[in-house]
Amino acid sequence: MKKFLAISAAAGFFAFFAAVFLALGADWYRNKRAPDQPIAFSHKIHVGKVGLKCETCHKYTHQSTFAGIPSVQKCMSCHAQVATDRPEVQKLSGYWERQEPIPWNRVHRIRIREHVFFSHKRHMKADVDPKLECANCHGEVQYVDKLRRVSSLEMGWCVSCHVSKGASTDCLTCHR
Amino acid sequence: MNRRDFVRLMGLAGGATALNSCGLERQTEKIIPYLVPPDDGVIPGVATYTQTTCTECPAGCGASVKVVDYRAGKLEGVAVHPVNDGALCMRGQASLSRLYHPDRVQTPLKKDARGDFAEISWDEAYDMITTALKASSSQGFGFKGQKNTKTKNVFLSGRTSGTLSELIDLFCSGSAVERLPEFELFSYAAIRKANETLFGRAELPSFRIEDADFMLTVGADLFETFVSPVSHAAQFARAKKNSHFEWTHVEPHASLTGFQAKRRYSVTPGSEPYLLTFLLTKVSRMNVAGDRHIADVIEALPKLTDRGFAEKTGLTVEQLNGIAESLLSARKPLVIAGGVSTTQAVGFETALLAGLLQWAVGMIGSTVDFDHAENYDHVGAAGDVVELSSRLGENGIGVLFVSNVDAAAGSQATLGLENIDKAGLSVGLTEFMNDTMRQCDVILPLSDTLESWGDAIPKRGLVNVIQPAVEPLYDTRTTGDILLQLVGRLTGNTPAASYQEFLFAKWRSRYGRQSVETLLVDGFLRRPTTRTAVNLDHLATRRRLRSLKITDAVAWPILMVTPSIRSFDGRSGDLALLSEIPDPLTTITWGGWLSISQADAAEKGLEDKDEVRVASSEWTAKLPVKIQRGLPRGVMMVQCGSVKPVPLSIDPRSGGVIASLEGVSIEKTAMSLAVPIMSGSQSQEGRKIIPEPSHGGERHHHDPEATLYPDNVYPEYRWGLVIDLNLCIGCGACVSACYVENNVPVVGPEEHLLGREMSWLRIEPYDAKNDHVEFQPMMCQHCGNAPCEAVCPVFATYHNPEGLNAQVYNRCVGTRYCANNCPYKVRRFNWYDTKRPSALNPTRNPEVSIRGRGVMEKCSFCVQRIRSARDVAKDRKSKINDGEVTTACAQTCPTKAMVFGDLQDENSEVYRWAHSERAYRVLEPLGTSPGVHYLRNKWKNDHA
Repeated sequence: MKKFLAISAAAGFFAFFAAVFLALGADWYRNKRAPDQPIAFSHKIHVGKVGLKCETCHKYTHQSTFAGIPSVQKCMSCHAQVATDRPEVQKLSGYWERQEPIPWNRVHRIRIREHVFFSHKRHMKADVDPKLECANCHGEVQYVDKLRRVSSLEMGWCVSCHVSKGASTDCLTCHR
Repeated sequence: MNRRDFVRLMGLAGGATALNSCGLERQTEKIIPYLVPPDDGVIPGVATYTQTTCTECPAGCGASVKVVDYRAGKLEGVAVHPVNDGALCMRGQASLSRLYHPDRVQTPLKKDARGDFAEISWDEAYDMITTALKASSSQGFGFKGQKNTKTKNVFLSGRTSGTLSELIDLFCSGSAVERLPEFELFSYAAIRKANETLFGRAELPSFRIEDADFMLTVGADLFETFVSPVSHAAQFARAKKNSHFEWTHVEPHASLTGFQAKRRYSVTPGSEPYLLTFLLTKVSRMNVAGDRHIADVIEALPKLTDRGFAEKTGLTVEQLNGIAESLLSARKPLVIAGGVSTTQAVGFETALLAGLLQWAVGMIGSTVDFDHAENYDHVGAAGDVVELSSRLGENGIGVLFVSNVDAAAGSQATLGLENIDKAGLSVGLTEFMNDTMRQCDVILPLSDTLESWGDAIPKRGLVNVIQPAVEPLYDTRTTGDILLQLVGRLTGNTPAASYQEFLFAKWRSRYGRQSVETLLVDGFLRRPTTRTAVNLDHLATRRRLRSLKITDAVAWPILMVTPSIRSFDGRSGDLALLSEIPDPLTTITWGGWLSISQADAAEKGLEDKDEVRVASSEWTAKLPVKIQRGLPRGVMMVQCGSVKPVPLSIDPRSGGVIASLEGVSIEKTAMSLAVPIMSGSQSQEGRKIIPEPSHGGERHHHDPEATLYPDNVYPEYRWGLVIDLNLCIGCGACVSACYVENNVPVVGPEEHLLGREMSWLRIEPYDAKNDHVEFQPMMCQHCGNAPCEAVCPVFATYHNPEGLNAQVYNRCVGTRYCANNCPYKVRRFNWYDTKRPSALNPTRNPEVSIRGRGVMEKCSFCVQRIRSARDVAKDRKSKINDGEVTTACAQTCPTKAMVFGDLQDENSEVYRWAHSERAYRVLEPLGTSPGVHYLRNKWKNDHA
């Protein structure tokens, strides 16, 4: 009986840690891992090597709450000629030929976003010194091939920046 | 089971649950970009506005459609529009949901042998129609010059105007189709017929209320449904700002409009001609207009003593003389007879004598404007439908087109369009299935106004544009496109490839290129009108008056069928939102009721919600009772469309409807019904919620602003709303606008019966002395010292630095302490996740959260609008200027009775209003320090 108890206790002890690791792993897998995309688009090549500006493709950053995802036509405006021999670019031209939009997987998602009203425009035009850069929230995308979320996008993260920059922390600024 | 097993099992279950909830599969969400972006300059998430016309009723208000991401999200009035001047009524606001209504007809339909409808293609539908039309003409039927042939093709339509009307003519003349007078249940036939008799012009003039200094209205429900309610309300507001303006309203029933008048008198039903005769007699004696022949013209009218007239009308001699005096001493008087007074047995006489009075006092050409007459040129009268029914019964119709009509609306047995199935082929053109359309062989689905091109001429001298705000949702066409197709297929020669092309060609030739541009951008175009003299035909009038028989024997009690401010003649009943919004007079939401007078209720021992059986010789119904203040003994009311159709009869002289039943009986049953009456009590309980106009600046026993809390500091703005009760007419347009703007859920009758209405803004009717009713809009007062804030355990509601009483939905845990502590009872709790038809999703405002179950919500002063105004202001690095931000309620108010802005800005409109000597705040002695101010009514309550 005693032996049984001891084994159970030991098993329970290790099982607890196993569960913790499993949970942490699951959390990473679910929330922090870079998702696979239908086309292995690389910000490293487009921003780091070619030197494109963010607004070239995400054209509404200064005009709307949405930053905007480029249309397939926008991609093809270069890739009709450029790097047409690469397998990933051929995937792109495949979408274009089939006249299908590309079903990208969302990387930046605010967890309770139905309660949060965020505006890209307001942040890009924010009157702070130094000016806010895309990289402040989205990371240095010019160094990574496969994009992943680097900021938690949780309220504490938002508020800490609002406090340090002297922006409003009134609830109605974001919730309404 | 022993303890060990229990623990083991629980552990297993818990572990399984935990693993399940972790779920290794990532919940991926897709972002689908454009394949090819549209090059129309539309930025995702940024609103654009399209000017068009509201077609919910015939008034022709300009509507500006807010479009975000190709979805129509809200309607506003077109600013400086000659009809509605930036406002929309309750129905106009709600009409947005017509576009996305799940019950819309989506494809052409054909009735099969069993009477079910099956989908067909447009080509099949066109082929059926052209074949039938060709067959009927090859048999020699219906051609011009062959009037003796019995069978004809006919086209019956709802009211049309402008280019569409022309195109219908083109189609009918080219295809051997007879165009019938257009159908409107309330077509103002009596007034038009009277004006034809008097002046030789069968027209409905427009009334210039704003120019008048004394207005006498007889039965006309100016602000509810009469001709152009928003225009009347806007004009009334402008007139009332003039301190000389006086208004006496005389009505046989009780209406919202009546309670807004300075003096409201109840007249005996059917005695309106006597009242007008009395006034004509006085006028002819004074000879005001210089028409010396008036006395001769009216010599045939009954001659009674003042006391005799008083007995007939039920008014006192003093009241009668008072009206006459005001009328004669006014510089610019205006008399309007309409509404129930012109849709009764003596409706024609009332209209005739009112028209004569307008002439005799010299109102024609001044306050009664025939040059800008309302456009009822093609509208017939309800009687035409009865005639068509009998023609159909005699197998006299080949192809029958029924366009945009519910002739069975309120389907009055003696009035409804019958025998449709006896036509060779019946073709229905409609957006929704209704009783008329269900009888047709072929249904052609029409596009909604917000998907269509078109124009409208609501009155002479004004053209409105109808332009699409969104792409058609379904396989629908506009009436214009359908007719052009038919013309093309019948003659092999189309006038234009599409109705849009047809329109633009017509517009350019009519107005010129420059003006077409103005029409598209502004939404309307003023056109010059020719001034034509309107002269009384003395001989004809005299002859008509001689044969006039004023029957004053009304069989009591009388049941009046009134059009409703919420559903008009029943047509707006399709829109659920309008059933959710309370009727302003009774605060009843879902379902029908019978309004009875206090005297009758006392006599029969009836209370609110008691069921009665109402019966006339041909109609009977069981209805709950609502006691209506101001309603005279023996008069009862039901609203069109909310009860079992009442059989109406036709006045043979004008062809208009007689919307009342005489000699009905009511009998109490043992039942009391569940009726959603939203107002708990109409008594103010002495709390001076609407104080007397004469009492200014009450003194309180203590300083209401005294508080233990630190003073509020507002670094930038203190948002506030001021509501002028002098201008508020209780029409409920603000309520409707609030619902649409703020995603307020429609919860339905079951919830309402439990008192769980969700409206953030309500109109409260309060009983006043002398049988009067006063109205007050009530919403969150955004208190400086809010009782709700102190009791929230989770800080979900708090006072923000701009003076808003904020409600953070994702913080709220639903204790409901706040609602219990609110003295204004304006907080609403979500008892359930409200299920909306998913088709209506596009109407949701993307700027406002959808509140889930267990969350408190309330008026936010349209914080999303404040935020977007701030966004614009920040772009130019300045503060929000006065007038740049307004709430949905204030924006749509027909009388502009609400002003929103920064109470700290001494140059703002809202500051001036809030510091008016008429300003007060509701329940101020409680020390809540509200951000909403009210202004007292200037008109003292001297109703009798």
